[in-house]
Amino acid sequence: MTHLTETTILTKPKGPRMIDFSAPRHRKKFGYLLLAPAVILMALIIVYPILLSVDISFQDVRIARVGASDKPWTLDNYRWLFASHEFWRACWVTAKMVVFVGGTALVIGLATALLVNQKFKGRALARLFVALPWAVPEVVATVIWAWMLDSSFGVVNWALLRLGIISEAIQFSQNSTAAFFAVCVVMIWKGYPLMTIMLLAGLQSIPEEQYQAAKVDGASVWQRFWYVTVPNLAPVMGVTLIMTTLWVFRDFAIIHVLTGGGPLGATTTLSIMTFEQSFSYFRMGQGAAVGVVTMLICAFISRALVSRFASKSH
Amino acid sequence: MATVEFNHIKKSYGSVEAIRDFNLSVDDGDFCVFVGPSGCGKSTALKMLAGLEATTSGTIQIGGRDVTELGPGNRDIAMVFQNYALYPHMTVRKNIGFGLKMRGMPGNEINAKVEDAAKILELTNYLDRKPKALSGGQRQRVALGRAIVREPSAFLMDEPLSNLDAKLRVQTRAEIVNLQKRLGVTTIYVTHDQTEALTMASKIVVMRDGMIQQIGTSHELFTHPRNIFVAGFIGSPGMNFFRGPVELDAGQPVTRFGGHLVRLPAATAALAGTDAVFGIRPEHIQLTTSPINVGLRLVESLGTEKILHFQIPKGQSLTNTEADFGPDDQDRDVQSMLIRVIDDHIYQEGQSVSLLFPQDKIHVFDPATHAAIG
Repeated sequence: MTHLTETTILTKPKGPRMIDFSAPRHRKKFGYLLLAPAVILMALIIVYPILLSVDISFQDVRIARVGASDKPWTLDNYRWLFASHEFWRACWVTAKMVVFVGGTALVIGLATALLVNQKFKGRALARLFVALPWAVPEVVATVIWAWMLDSSFGVVNWALLRLGIISEAIQFSQNSTAAFFAVCVVMIWKGYPLMTIMLLAGLQSIPEEQYQAAKVDGASVWQRFWYVTVPNLAPVMGVTLIMTTLWVFRDFAIIHVLTGGGPLGATTTLSIMTFEQSFSYFRMGQGAAVGVVTMLICAFISRALVSRFASKSH
Repeated sequence: MATVEFNHIKKSYGSVEAIRDFNLSVDDGDFCVFVGPSGCGKSTALKMLAGLEATTSGTIQIGGRDVTELGPGNRDIAMVFQNYALYPHMTVRKNIGFGLKMRGMPGNEINAKVEDAAKILELTNYLDRKPKALSGGQRQRVALGRAIVREPSAFLMDEPLSNLDAKLRVQTRAEIVNLQKRLGVTTIYVTHDQTEALTMASKIVVMRDGMIQQIGTSHELFTHPRNIFVAGFIGSPGMNFFRGPVELDAGQPVTRFGGHLVRLPAATAALAGTDAVFGIRPEHIQLTTSPINVGLRLVESLGTEKILHFQIPKGQSLTNTEADFGPDDQDRDVQSMLIRVIDDHIYQEGQSVSLLFPQDKIHVFDPATHAAIG
């Protein structure tokens, strides 16, 4: 008993004003306190620029300067935007790219994930090679591809000519369709490893017993894939597709280095258009308007998909 | 419904032999339990029967048909897994009907069969729920439903009760036995829990290190264990062992416990002059007036039932390796013997009690081979 009393005295708070953050009543406060620096920083580096670009998008600004006196708010930029042929074409190009890159990267990513999930000799090395494109910096990868796709001395044209698939070199920088698919191929090459890594993690979390139960139930390989693998992977697939979609939406480096948005706007996505309006034509008000609309579309897509897949997985 | 036969089944993983010459015949409608400590090969044997693991050599027959080279879906068996292995994205109805769907049965027939199975297992109200919305016991019943709806030749169950709490385990144990009796389907059941084995099985296969130690009913295993391992593994707590010489006292075989004579079964007279291992079950030791006095080291009270621990005389206990009943029984103290009593008496640690080892309850084992003698 003596010992107990001593302990009680020792652990008693020294001052009456000290808040015991471990107490259930105050635990939440401590949490908020710890979060505060991160929230303030986020507000400064994310929320403030967003608000700033929304502000600019409502002004007739050619070159924005911090500290310059505000111009009166106007809807002119948005009027121009929705009436502009360029904007709708950029939306269409972006949508096509999202569907094509997302879909193909999902198929390739799933196939490679299933492959490297098998037990075979050299599996660790195979996993490393699969993840390699992801680790190469975007600009470096695109420059390599630009050389490979060159119409005069690129290896891709050489191989296609040698194999007899084409009779004359494809002009990737001049043919709209070829340029679009060239961009897509590089994006898929760069983007599928993320799919593989995420789906591989998903595959490894599927209990082996579910496959065994399906085997005993008489399910074939395809039926096991369709009824066990796919539903179990659906939440991971959903999240990864959102990430890839958003990545295609905002990717700038690959398109800028490979085609610069050309030829004739065939590869001009919303992010390329934002850049062009702001820094090529110095219409920062209009550029900001494109950026704000892009942000709203992205927010809408991710909200819709996140809630859909989140409800599936829980 | 069918017989199940294992003929000279072996299974090796590289140089490690998981199953060595496994021979077993299970009759039609039997409830056969494979029991043994972790790593004894019981689950491997079951998976080979299911077709989930390949055999290294030997043949397996179900209903007289050689299924050794057939896939799990072609063996006409149904399996219940330890963690139930329910499909989380499917409703209970779809989970139960999955096997029938894979066999191409029309939807309305599947539904009728699923409803019947659900009625038997009292799952009717849960048919449209997903597994995550069910309790452990209900999930377990869904797994059973998935097995019975197929009307297979044999049920295979791999520790299906280990994820349930103690109370539910006892209840589900009885439910499974009743269900099996009602359906009459040959059942192979794997467990490491000997209580489950003893209470459920019509035939028990005790395994250790990939080998069958003994096949028999619970009564046979309890009264006539074939070796020290079976004697120590079966029973709760398991049999007590002590080592001693076999001597003759007025023509009757006896051994010594401490300095005192203990009468042995008459059949052991032939062993006179040799050493042997003697076994007696905790419930067979009698607390009565006798020259053998021991001090109680520990008293464990479970209400009316008490487990009394006392020390084996010096030099007469088995070594840890001799009394190795698997990794599940590591904390067994080879220096102590236990008495299981059910009475209202209050026992104290340190108290001295006198014991009697009834002559007909003493088991004798060969100290070298560990096999039962007599």
